[in-house]
Amino acid sequence: MQKEVTEVDVASTTGGLKLARKNSGPALPKKHKNRNGIYWLQMSPALIILLLMTIAPAIFLITKSLTNDSLLNSTSNFVGLENYQSILTDASLIRSAKVTAIFVALVVIIEMVAGIFFAQFLHKKTRANSLAGALLIIPFAVAPAVSAMVFRELLNPNYGWVNYFMGLLGLPDQIDWLGNSFTAWVALIGLDVWQWTPFVTLILIAGMSSLPAEPLEAASVDGANGWQIFRHISFRLLAPFIGIALVLRTIQAFKTFDSFLILTGGGPGDSTSPLNLEIYRVALQSFRVGYASSMAIILLAAISVLTPLLLRILGRATQNEEV
Amino acid sequence: MVRPIATSTKGGNMLYIKKEGNGLIAKLRLPVVAVLAIGLVASATPSHAAQTAPKQIRILYATAEANSAAVQAALPSFKAKTGVELVMDTMPYNALQTKVFAEFAVKSSYYDVVIVDTPWSPALAQSLEPLSGYMTNASLNDLAPLDAADFIPKVFYDTAVYNVKNPSLHYPKPTAKVDPAAIKKAGFDVYGLPIQANALALAYRKDLFNDPAQKAAFKKVAGRALTVPKTLDEFAEVAEFFTQPDKKLYGTTLMAGTGDWATDDFKTLLAAFGGDGYMVGNKQELNFNSAAGVKALTYYRNLIKSGFTPPGTTSASWDEVATMFNSGLTAMTMNYHDLKLDASVAGGVIGYAKVPAGNSEGPHFGTWMLSVNKYSKNKEWGYRAAQWLTSAAQSTAMLQKGIHPARNSVYTAAGKLPDANVAAYYKTLKQALAVGAGRPRLTNYGEVDAVIFTMVNNVATGKIEPKPALAAAAVEITKLLVSAGYKVP
Repeated sequence: MQKEVTEVDVASTTGGLKLARKNSGPALPKKHKNRNGIYWLQMSPALIILLLMTIAPAIFLITKSLTNDSLLNSTSNFVGLENYQSILTDASLIRSAKVTAIFVALVVIIEMVAGIFFAQFLHKKTRANSLAGALLIIPFAVAPAVSAMVFRELLNPNYGWVNYFMGLLGLPDQIDWLGNSFTAWVALIGLDVWQWTPFVTLILIAGMSSLPAEPLEAASVDGANGWQIFRHISFRLLAPFIGIALVLRTIQAFKTFDSFLILTGGGPGDSTSPLNLEIYRVALQSFRVGYASSMAIILLAAISVLTPLLLRILGRATQNEEV
Repeated sequence: MVRPIATSTKGGNMLYIKKEGNGLIAKLRLPVVAVLAIGLVASATPSHAAQTAPKQIRILYATAEANSAAVQAALPSFKAKTGVELVMDTMPYNALQTKVFAEFAVKSSYYDVVIVDTPWSPALAQSLEPLSGYMTNASLNDLAPLDAADFIPKVFYDTAVYNVKNPSLHYPKPTAKVDPAAIKKAGFDVYGLPIQANALALAYRKDLFNDPAQKAAFKKVAGRALTVPKTLDEFAEVAEFFTQPDKKLYGTTLMAGTGDWATDDFKTLLAAFGGDGYMVGNKQELNFNSAAGVKALTYYRNLIKSGFTPPGTTSASWDEVATMFNSGLTAMTMNYHDLKLDASVAGGVIGYAKVPAGNSEGPHFGTWMLSVNKYSKNKEWGYRAAQWLTSAAQSTAMLQKGIHPARNSVYTAAGKLPDANVAAYYKTLKQALAVGAGRPRLTNYGEVDAVIFTMVNNVATGKIEPKPALAAAAVEITKLLVSAGYKVP
């Protein structure tokens, strides 16, 4: 029997989201088919824009990645998978990939944990929390390049506020934050956590505000402590929101560029040089468009594989909780 | 029916007009003949004179890196003189580089004149209009005297003279008087006119060097008079003497952060220790990987390791070292521009000198040039604009805004500036330009540069010893050069 796609209102379980699912029901009557045609017509402007803005550039990028195209040469030759082979055997690029992976893993974990922690305190509707909610917008409203420049000044070992206040507290005040690999990483992660934890917190505050009160009250009456309530009820109910925050932050963290370029420039040495910085150098300083496209495709593939994987892991974790 | 009714005189291009009837042809014949006649007359006169004045000449320029304020101030005079408006778009370095390459990649004719930095030139030379023919055509040099021989030879040849068939080659006689005909005869051509010449120069706290107490203390420690260091040994000795962290004073700054500036520090020391300041030769010889390279990196690392430089040196750029010096944190610095002490540095006075030499010298220099876009529709007027902006008269006027000129006569004028500090800077800059060493001519210099400055930074932070660092960089650069189509010996 022909499988048809129908819309199912699952508002009660997904907070108003409408999901599509496969259903093995009877063929739709002609009236419904006509209605489907109208739906497609209504969607066509958005689909055309999507095609032009995302799918066409992606196809262009894939095509370029199979060439040795360069802005400096008028000739462009098909080289097959040569670029990919070169990238995957290039020690410095593998180092950059590791830098990217470590950065994404660290900042996403820290931001998720910190976001959940802050959301626990800030989701209750009080005046102070409303003010805090408004203030939380500030860090991620600042352009990443600007915040990186400000952080660079704050961390200046001679005039920066960070060393100054550390000195006042009796802590070491001569730290060359950006001249040492470990402290440069601390600075980069600190900047990202400062900038993006509020984003995660706001998503989770919205999630927590929409949670039904009954299960929490019932658990409380049954004698569950705060941690048990959070672990077995709130966390499970929050899973869709955590999933959204996790996926968005993972994708954003992979795309981080400004703070690396401005704060550390990839240094000391190349200890904080992520793939994005390498792509920038190859594409916009050496103008080897073909090679840079291959690097971008590899990064895109990594994100595309990781995102559903993360959602599946999260889904499995919450299902286990249900069991 | 479509049939050709006439041919032009140039290239045999056919003019087609749809035949509507004999009457229309008859009506069209007279104006077409008239147009062709005008075309014939025009083609018989020299092509340079043929171009009518456009309303605008569009210039793509840098921002503070090439002192856009100085050039901007000169633009109204050009319009007053010629009636042609110079419209200048400015962009910061990274955005400018991308824009310039993108413009040439699509063969855009939008900009008539484009500013070009020396590291880009080998890759762009084919898209730039060769100018030797323009320079020798008197009718195109009527707005201001060209006086090519007035350009500082080393600056001119390093910046603007290329062999487009082999852009890696440097002009063989870099100190010869500039002569477009001789350049052409040697198989090279001129691809721009220098407008902003930068070189690494030493700045020092004159008030500290002249302080009797400091002089006496130095004499006691070093057994000689305190003088502005001329050699690398003296430089290290004086840097050590002034280093007093408890008084928030250090000997000197170094630009050891990850960026082009670290490469410039290294190549300056490489030349001072007798190596090739260009780092990579005309035939892609990796000259930086040498005994002089080891000495240069060891000297550099030791200055930092010994604490003669302030905290933050291994992440500092040219901008940050300027802040360090201007705030009174160091007694000496090396930078690409003149400096001004903060008001908080009481009694502070700056002096300038060439960067210290070893058994040879070659302070880093790099110059911006104004080039004519090969695809421009206003090439002759583009040249006239570039020639006028880089003329001695305009460069002299731009001194008020701090331009770094490339002409000898302008430096003579700069010596008479009322601000003694600025005049002293110009004197030093001219000396540095006369002996400077530029960059290797490579189409992928950006990538090579990244390997070098990463290596310098790694040595500066103590992560790796100089010799293995140089060897590893040589391996990596060889790979990059080969991938860019070079044969590395």
